[in-house]
Amino acid sequence: MNVLEIQGLTKKFGNFVAVDNMTLNVKEGEIFGFLGSNGAGKSTTINMISSLLQPSAGEIRILGKDSRKHSRHAKTNLGIVPQDLAIYDDMTAYENVAFFAGLYGLRGKLLKERTEEALEFVGLGDRAKSRPSTFSGGMKRRLNIACAIAHKPSLIIMDEPTVGIDPQSRNYILESVKKLNESGCTVIYTSHYMEEVEEICSRVAIVDHGKIIADGTKEQLKAIITDVKDLSIELKPGSAYSLQSIGKIPGVRAVNEKEGRLSIQSDAAVDNLNRILKSLMDGGAEVKALQEEEPNLETVFLTLTGRSLRDQ
Amino acid sequence: MNVIQIAFKEMLLSFRNRRTLFFMLAFPLVLMLVLGTALANAFSTTAAMDTVRVLVQDQSSGAAQQGFAGFRAEMEKSGFAFTDFKPGMDGAAEVEKNNYDDYAVVTNSGIKLYGSDRNAVASNMTQGMLSAYADRYNAAAAIGAADPAKAATAFQPAPSGGYVKELSLDLDRMPGSMDYYAVALTVMIALWGAMSAANLVNSEIRQGTAARLVAAPVRKGEIFAGKVLGNLAVNMLCVLVVITFSKVVYHAYWGDNLPLVLLVLLSVVVLSTSLGLALSYLLKSSASGGLISLAVQLASFFGGAYFPLGVVEKNSLLGIAASLSPIRWANMALNNMIYLGDSTQVIQTIGLNAGLAALLLAASAYMMSKREGL
Ligand SMILES: Nc1ncnc2c1ncn2[C@@H]1O[C@H](COP(=O)(O)OP(=O)(O)O)[C@@H](O)[C@H]1O
Ligand SMILES: [Mg+2]
Repeated sequence: MNVLEIQGLTKKFGNFVAVDNMTLNVKEGEIFGFLGSNGAGKSTTINMISSLLQPSAGEIRILGKDSRKHSRHAKTNLGIVPQDLAIYDDMTAYENVAFFAGLYGLRGKLLKERTEEALEFVGLGDRAKSRPSTFSGGMKRRLNIACAIAHKPSLIIMDEPTVGIDPQSRNYILESVKKLNESGCTVIYTSHYMEEVEEICSRVAIVDHGKIIADGTKEQLKAIITDVKDLSIELKPGSAYSLQSIGKIPGVRAVNEKEGRLSIQSDAAVDNLNRILKSLMDGGAEVKALQEEEPNLETVFLTLTGRSLRDQ
Repeated sequence: MNVIQIAFKEMLLSFRNRRTLFFMLAFPLVLMLVLGTALANAFSTTAAMDTVRVLVQDQSSGAAQQGFAGFRAEMEKSGFAFTDFKPGMDGAAEVEKNNYDDYAVVTNSGIKLYGSDRNAVASNMTQGMLSAYADRYNAAAAIGAADPAKAATAFQPAPSGGYVKELSLDLDRMPGSMDYYAVALTVMIALWGAMSAANLVNSEIRQGTAARLVAAPVRKGEIFAGKVLGNLAVNMLCVLVVITFSKVVYHAYWGDNLPLVLLVLLSVVVLSTSLGLALSYLLKSSASGGLISLAVQLASFFGGAYFPLGVVEKNSLLGIAASLSPIRWANMALNNMIYLGDSTQVIQTIGLNAGLAALLLAASAYMMSKREGL
């Protein structure tokens, strides 16, 4: 059963096409990753699903029903965690969650239970009576999530819920997403952090310039790039080398350096390890360790777009 | 239900906002005390004045003349002194020189009034009485012109004691400074509701909560209605607190028809909320907030919130500015009702405010429905 079906979805801002004829299905019980660099069109897509923006063309179906013709049905089944915090600074954590849950028809005792449950779920149970202005960035992000789950939606869409927070809060949020999913909720998880998507998502769509350029399970996506090899070479400190000359070796697609470690993507078919090592040693560098890395989503993204997820 | 919930949230946020509490409650009450005390003398001379001096140039004849003579005789009993215009006098200059409080030119086709703006309150009273009379007189003149046979009856006072009785002025009850400012500053905060109204939608967009409201299974109309209702309730509660405080603590006089006073203020509150909302949709950007505060401040100033403007020349710049201020409409109407028992202007003001508000609300609702998001 598809929880979400998107067909030919397009959004234009003037002449600029932010989302370009996008088609996509999300199945019940998935954590679906929506991966793309800044400006790829992720938020625009989500805002159309949550009816904040009107599509220029295309269809959105939630649990089988058109989201505009049956907007009440669609909205009741959705939970939205917007990319920008959406909470009232002058209302307590409890009041924030209860207000939004109330808009979904929860009343009285049930409202109270669900509100407390949601706050407990994101680890803010003991801060229910505090205002968000006294919260850290991570706590505000967690409250932002609590506001979207108290009404127990079938599909919850999170738009970069971990942007700009400490690693601890981030892990907490990732764990929460998994728990939500285990409790039966389908999740769409948007991010430009490849590691997060790799860690929690069962299926992934890679978005670039408003288009889905690849989608499938992580394994399927990695299978796209069997023709690429990832090498990681650790050098002795103080070693001299030239990224430029390595980049010129036939079969090398890209080379990066980080903290004395070179990552090199090269064609699998070309046996050029010798040449790479020779080039390094001729330059006077000493190799400490060499490893062939498992391909990851970063490599997939790089291969498909020619850009790293990070360089924007 | 959603409407009530959203309205309640607006109220909660407003009353937690220190700015609201300061501008809508503390500021008017302190200003009332300061101005009411500081200007007490300026008002007491007016209040102690036992006669209102009116210079009359009567060029009317026949039934019209008789009608005016009757009015004049009644008025002289209530502390008005009428002096006949002598050839060679300059009526306006006489008022200017403070020899008279008012100058009236009576002809068969109508009454023309010139008031001084020096003794603002006294002038207000005379102006109110005379202009109410002039309205009837002018109507009668029009009837007379159309059908000379009816002219005689048209100028006669109505049987139930006549217009003069209806307008009888109690000179013991002239407004003191505190009375004046209690009315003026309460009307002012009623209009200030426009500023919070301008923020109703913008604040949701700024806090990102618009995204959640729109994503929730609530119609836009419900969000709109809830917000309007919440803002009205907050504003009206502030008005009630200020009235009660001014009555109990400052002993300000609010007349004996408080329900009608509240109705006038409610109409101003409704107008101001609609105005703020409509402008915030029209101007879109956050600049709308600043522009609305400016407009509201100007309306307060020219409406006589800070000092009484009295009767101003209709065609002067000040006169035009004053006539555009909803604060002045409500102020004049309320004073006429509280001190003259004349509620014609009150009814007109309520009607005008309600009509304008309905137009502005319809326009905002339309703009909201056309907009993506909130
Ligand atoms: N309201 C808007 N008007 C014009 N352009 C917009 C608007 N919203 C987004 N865009 C543009 O659309 C593109 C996609 O933006 P967005 O969906 O926010 O990307 P992402 O969420 O993937 O980072 C960007 O180039 C952005 O500048
Ligand atoms: Mg985004």
